[in-house]
Amino acid sequence: MDSLHTKKKIIKVRNLTKKFNEKIILKNINFDLYEGESLAIIGASGSGKSVLLKNIIGLLKPEIGSIKINNVETINLSRSKRENLLLELGITFQHGALFDSLTIWENVIFKIQRIKKLTKIDGQKHALDIIKNLGLGPDILNLYPSEISGGMQKRIAIARAISSDPSILLFDEPTSGLDPVTGSVIDELIVKSVKRLGASAITITHDMASVSRIADKVILIDDQTVSWTGKPNEMLKSNNAKVQQFIKALNPKLFK
Amino acid sequence: MKKTILNILGSIGYTCIRFLSQIGNFFIFCISSVFWAIRPPWYLKQIHSQIIDIGYFSLPVVGLTTFFSGMVLALQTSIGFSEFNSESTVARVVLTSITKELGPVLTGLMVAGRVGAKMAAEIATMKVTEQIDALGTLGTRPMQYLIAPKLIASLICVPFLVLIGNTIGILGGYVIAIYKLDFNPDLYLYATIEHLYWIDVVQGLVKAAIFGFLISMLSCYFGYNASRGAEGVGYATTSAVVTSSVMILTSTYIITALFFG
Repeated sequence: MDSLHTKKKIIKVRNLTKKFNEKIILKNINFDLYEGESLAIIGASGSGKSVLLKNIIGLLKPEIGSIKINNVETINLSRSKRENLLLELGITFQHGALFDSLTIWENVIFKIQRIKKLTKIDGQKHALDIIKNLGLGPDILNLYPSEISGGMQKRIAIARAISSDPSILLFDEPTSGLDPVTGSVIDELIVKSVKRLGASAITITHDMASVSRIADKVILIDDQTVSWTGKPNEMLKSNNAKVQQFIKALNPKLFK
Repeated sequence: MKKTILNILGSIGYTCIRFLSQIGNFFIFCISSVFWAIRPPWYLKQIHSQIIDIGYFSLPVVGLTTFFSGMVLALQTSIGFSEFNSESTVARVVLTSITKELGPVLTGLMVAGRVGAKMAAEIATMKVTEQIDALGTLGTRPMQYLIAPKLIASLICVPFLVLIGNTIGILGGYVIAIYKLDFNPDLYLYATIEHLYWIDVVQGLVKAAIFGFLISMLSCYFGYNASRGAEGVGYATTSAVVTSSVMILTSTYIITALFFG
């Protein structure tokens, strides 16, 4: 961890508080994401994990606090500066959020198409190169998202996120709704993609098996705030009651 | 008793504030949409696809509606004016009613039902499945990519649909006048051309453009602000169609009274 902390802070969140109307969802959240680090944010359903992610990417604005990405304060950032900053990020959403009206290859190259203006042939070729790395073949390129399985949709969402070689990857519940086998395949793809790009990553999950496979560091959100931070294998030794609850939900062998 | 009165007043106040807030939000949404519609880049593929959807695929339903409206108008008018110079009167009533009111209003209502519902459902589904959030994170402005093409296409297509609908409606009146009422075709046609004033056509087209704006903006607004999953999509769709229809009928009176009355 020490060698890791000599690295650059890619995302720095300080004293973040988010309310919906008067209800406090997140309170005084603090954490750092270092260069090349893979951070898992865990917590029960409704604990505010996805809300935290949406604050980081600017879809929601916190009432109090600071979020710095690559040392740039993102709150109250102008529209054009935010758009430039988002180009550095690759994001997958909880339910994939693939565009229904576009084919798979159009979904995959959506972001780089805005920048490079690829022809149809070049676009399909580029999309195929990306999805091949995720274990998918050319047969799905011209299908629509509704015509492929949930597991494939998650892979395409990852393909879309990594298509522009971003330096920061953010995954919101990448294995939710998937069977354990497909979930582990998705986890492997995330690890592989993060390593290949040399990116820093945040994964929102409540799947402890995923945490053990993908994370260098874990933060637990409970009672609206960060209640525990550590490495995945340190969770076993923790006395934190909520951490223990999560541990009981899976086989401890996964952390060995 | 005092508490009940306060509760009632509170509810009325809350409803009024919500209503005014909705109007304010809709106004801001319209300004934002126009702002993004006139700024490059223009997504030509999206605009083209919307023109096909709104303009081309609405033609059958608009044509059918205006054709039968022209027919029934000729039939009803001939009964009322049977003792007068029927050829000229029926032709004039059909022409004026279709170009000034029925053409734009019926076209607007058909487009609101067919296209408005689709726009609202599409955008609402994208909203509740986080596709709109995803668009924003992929370097694309949702207002520019999703809303602006629908606004531009509606402003182009609805006036064209009204022009075509007017022609078909007048043709419907002609068919009934000639083949059912046994009017002289030359006299009927002459009366139609004689009473065709450009200001009536312009009035219809102005209304059409305003209806196109209202339909696209209301449908996109309700879709864009949808929440609560499938129920939210249903609510957005219903609200879009009902509000668009009411606004078409209300605004046609206001436009006529203010500018052409």
